[in-house]
Order: sequence, then C-alpha cells, then structure tokens
Amino acid sequence: MPVVIDLEKCGKIAECPGEGLCIKICEQGALIEKEGEIVLVPDNCDDCDLCIQNCPNQAISKE
Amino acid sequence: MSTVCRHGKESRSLTHKNDHCVGCGICVDMCPTEAIRLGPVMPVARGLLEADLININQKECCLCGLCAASCPFDALEFNLNGKNSKELGNYPQWTHNANIDSETCIYCGRCETACPQDAIYLKRVLPTIDELVRGETDIDKDKCIYCGICEEMCPANAIEIEFNQINSNNPQVASNIKIDESKCIYCSICKRVCPESAIKIVCTTCMSQEDIIIPEIEGNIILDDKKCINCGWCQEICPVDAAQVIKPFEGEIFYVDDFECKGDSCHACADVCPCNAISMVDNRSVVNPVFCTLCGACAKACPQKGIVIKRSSMKLKNIKSKSWNDRLGGLLHQASQSK
Repeated sequence: MPVVIDLEKCGKIAECPGEGLCIKICEQGALIEKEGEIVLVPDNCDDCDLCIQNCPNQAISKE
Repeated sequence: MSTVCRHGKESRSLTHKNDHCVGCGICVDMCPTEAIRLGPVMPVARGLLEADLININQKECCLCGLCAASCPFDALEFNLNGKNSKELGNYPQWTHNANIDSETCIYCGRCETACPQDAIYLKRVLPTIDELVRGETDIDKDKCIYCGICEEMCPANAIEIEFNQINSNNPQVASNIKIDESKCIYCSICKRVCPESAIKIVCTTCMSQEDIIIPEIEGNIILDDKKCINCGWCQEICPVDAAQVIKPFEGEIFYVDDFECKGDSCHACADVCPCNAISMVDNRSVVNPVFCTLCGACAKACPQKGIVIKRSSMKLKNIKSKSWNDRLGGLLHQASQSK
C-alpha cells in the first residue's frame, strides 16, 4: 500500500529542511519532483517506509 | 558540536562532539528526561543532509551525565567544574579498547584500507629495487636504431630514449638511449625484443643470493583512539595478529522472524552502520557480527523494525550508584529496536 502525503504538514520542496528529502531518499522513483511539487507515483512504491521514517515534517504516513 | 551549560553550586556542562558520534542512539535510550533526539542519521550517512546526529533539548536536559557515561564512542563529554567526568573516580568508565602492536606489525596496510573510520595511519619505507636484484646491462649504441621498442615494452620503465633537439631538426627522432639501473630488474625483455640485438642483459640475482640481504620493511603505524570505534576490522584482517580489539559490548544481532527486508530499495541499515558490518546480499540485509559493535544504529534506522540487538555484557565499569546501575543496565538484555 503506497504512502500518503499530508499536504498541510508537508512544506513542499521550497520549505522542506531537506529540500525535498523524500525525493532524494526514494530510490524507487515513487516520490518525484514535477514543476517544483512533490508527486507520488503509487505504482513505484514498494513499502520500504524509508520516507515515512525520515520526513523532517512527519508529513508522510500510511492510511 | 553543541553544548548545554549551567552554573549553580557547581558548573556542569555537556558537549556533543558530532565528529565522534555514530548516531547509534544509546544516549537517547539512556536520557532520563527524554532530552535527546536522534537527528537525521540516514540522510546524513547518505550525504543528503548536513546535520548533527543528535539534538539535545537544552531545557529538558538535567545535566546528569548519564548520556556521556553511556556513550561508547566518547561523543559526549560531561564536565563538572571544568573537569571531564571520565577523569573523576566516581563516574563510570568504558574499558574497551583497540591496539596495534608495532613490533608485530609487518606494515602490509590491510587494516588501514579496511578501517571504516579511517582511524589507522600507516607509513612504510620500502627497499629500493637495486637492493633486491643484481645484474649488468649494456647497449651497443653503434647497433641501436632508437626504434623505442625496448622502452615501450620495459615492464620496469627503466629504459629512456632521449631526444637531442640540438643535433636533430626533428625532435621526434631519438638520438640516445639509457637504462636506469636503479629501476632495471634484468628481466631481458628488452634484449629479446630488440630487432638489432643491441642490448645485453645479464641477471646475476640467483647467483648473488647470499649477498642480497633480505630487507626488513620499516614503518610507523598509528591507531587514532579518538576515531576508532572498536569494530574489529583490523583485528580480523591482520595476517600477523598485531591488532587487538576489545569491543564495548558482547551479545548478538539478529533479524526478527517475520522481517520483510526491503533490501536494495532501502539499505538504511548498511548506510548508517559505522562499522561497515552490513551489506545487501540477494536483496536482503546481512550483518557480519565479527565487525559489529552492537551499537544499534541499524536497528534504529530500519523502517521495518526488523533488526534486534541483544547485548549480554558491556565493558562499562565503575558504576557506583544503584540508580545509575539500573539505568545503564538497560543497555543489556533488552532488545534495542527502533522506537
């Protein structure tokens, strides 16, 4: 089951302390940048949960 | 480096030395006021961020010194009236250590290469080639056509064709040849390849065995105690048993039975391991306990909570109070998993 990004908590790339850390961490290409926005590609997510654990804004979770 | 400092009846200060910190989180577990939080250890390990590996909340910290006492890597320094608690007799002391005996060391350099913390410095003086081989060389310059075949083929780079720009309009045309006897190994490749049979090589190494003294390789090896994390790589890899490592903990590291390791797509454990003890094999995390210090950094980094550290004993001695003994004893037996 792919992750969910809480858009209220997420500072987007501009406000993220890691400048889009989740995108850099995800080696599956499930979190990518598109025109300055963080975009989720659910089919690529393999549930490693690395983004959930490392998001500096705790904005990523699973339902 | 961050410091918490307060002055009352006595001055107390706690300093975090980030360059010694491995991000294991032992201090986080030991802090009685939950004043320490683990920083972004995995992103830092991957080079994605620059940040301290722990954060100490100044307001929450009660300056008890438990974190400094429990840190096996000397990354937290607790001072009382300006004196390091480690130098005061009534605070706990770690007794693990590592040592490389320079008398036994043969300066092969394997430990220096393997050390995951670059804590070993090696400098060695090797013998020169002419101390090890004997022979004679001669080039008949009347025969030599300066084709350069010998120079191109010489495995020791001992032959040099010289271009004399004064005697030649074309500096590409060679006009002299030299064999550097400090480099020549008398292998005779040049002699065999010379189209004009202009080179003579006589190797007398075998005949002169008795005159050739077997050289002793001299050197210096330094193990930097401040950088060393006592992982055991040097001890394991040393061919002459010159390195001795006493680790901070004894015990075991294992994976939970129903561990769904995400392997190559995660590899957080391997990234954060300060000991280079973890690798991904067949898309799964595999730890080599020989190199593991049981620090627990991997267990805390694993998003699947699949790694268990079970410590059975530790080299932390001189724990004097019962409350400290109870608290620090928590490092043992409990399965240290991510919180």
